[in-house]
Amino acid sequence: MKYKDYYATLGVEKNATPEAIKAAYRKLARKYHPDVSKEKGAEAQFKEVGEAYETLKDPEKRAAYDQLGRHAPGDEFRPPPDWQQSFGDTQFSFDDLDLADLFANIAGHSRGGGARARNAPRPGQDFEAAVRLTFDQAFAGTEIEFDMTVAEPDANGMLRRVPRKVKVRIPKGVTDGQKLRVPGKGAKGINGGRDGDLYLDIHVDAHPLYRADGLDLYMELPLAPWEAVLGADVELPTPSGRIALKVPAGTQAGQKLRLAGRGLSRPDGTSGHLYAVAQIVVPTVVDERQRALFGQLKDSSTFNPRAHMS
Amino acid sequence: MKFESTSALVLDETGTISIAQLVEASGLSEADLQVLVECGALSPRDVRAPQWTFSSHCVVTAREARRLRDDFALDDVHALAIVLRFHERIDALEHELRRLRAML
Repeated sequence: MKYKDYYATLGVEKNATPEAIKAAYRKLARKYHPDVSKEKGAEAQFKEVGEAYETLKDPEKRAAYDQLGRHAPGDEFRPPPDWQQSFGDTQFSFDDLDLADLFANIAGHSRGGGARARNAPRPGQDFEAAVRLTFDQAFAGTEIEFDMTVAEPDANGMLRRVPRKVKVRIPKGVTDGQKLRVPGKGAKGINGGRDGDLYLDIHVDAHPLYRADGLDLYMELPLAPWEAVLGADVELPTPSGRIALKVPAGTQAGQKLRLAGRGLSRPDGTSGHLYAVAQIVVPTVVDERQRALFGQLKDSSTFNPRAHMS
Repeated sequence: MKFESTSALVLDETGTISIAQLVEASGLSEADLQVLVECGALSPRDVRAPQWTFSSHCVVTAREARRLRDDFALDDVHALAIVLRFHERIDALEHELRRLRAML
């Protein structure tokens, strides 16, 4: 296991008061937190600072850390022989773990401030993961597999880093930015505590034809000028298959034609609509005959699209 | 080797959870949640009900509040509620920006 100097990470002395540790952490958090910092490497720095504070802010964990002795950062070391009996409430495999695993799994003070009993049940950690889905996967629902490396007790109750495969069913109708919860797929609980949950942050790739707004979908409907004027029957691709759409005569550019229930749908039956947004597209190449026909149209029409401007 | 598949639950307005479940999922205390409700950062289904229930989307909000509290070592839950509001506003604007960029 590699040693990390948590005091040096926070820039405080070993005998720093809890208040000084908190003040140092707050200053560094404001500097490196990914929500506020654009500095290169800030996220990694924030992770280091967070790991140090997580241990040093808790009196029991700090005492356990101090008992590890001082080593040069990055040096391989093993805790003293009696360390595990004094602080651990589970068996550790020191070769597989890093310092953060070690302190995440020893009993510290609860969030409410009271000390935990050494063998009290403790819930497993929650995990978070980002999931990238194609539009089609989000529309129809899908099953995804994760490979994770987690610190948890093995069959002999020995805490070690182990690979874990998780298979998750993503329901249909999820949208970009949504969060999903997979119950019980976080870290295993300790001393009979409940297992943690896995939280998924959903990112849905943009689709070349459709864009989602909640459960509603929008797509462009390019129309020739004569289709917009006269109306037309057009074949349209939708996520659930091709359909025939009746475009009414006199359709204006920007007009939305609603295809009820053809948006994203959820397993509970709620569904959005698909809106085809009309675009008038003019031909860029016209032959002599077509040019003459447009000329006749111009001569015979009194239509002025700019009448409201005069 | 076969692995059993687990269903993911969407944390949106359709699901309902109790305040005890929200405490468990967020890591915040019930007292913290009450302050977030008073500040308008969280809304129970019925604020006058004897036992508050929340939409499951509140898990996302409450976990974000816990993350911000821990990340910035914030002591004051009232201040946390304001930070959370600003954070949600930024998220919504970024989402809208992505949506509008996708339309270009």
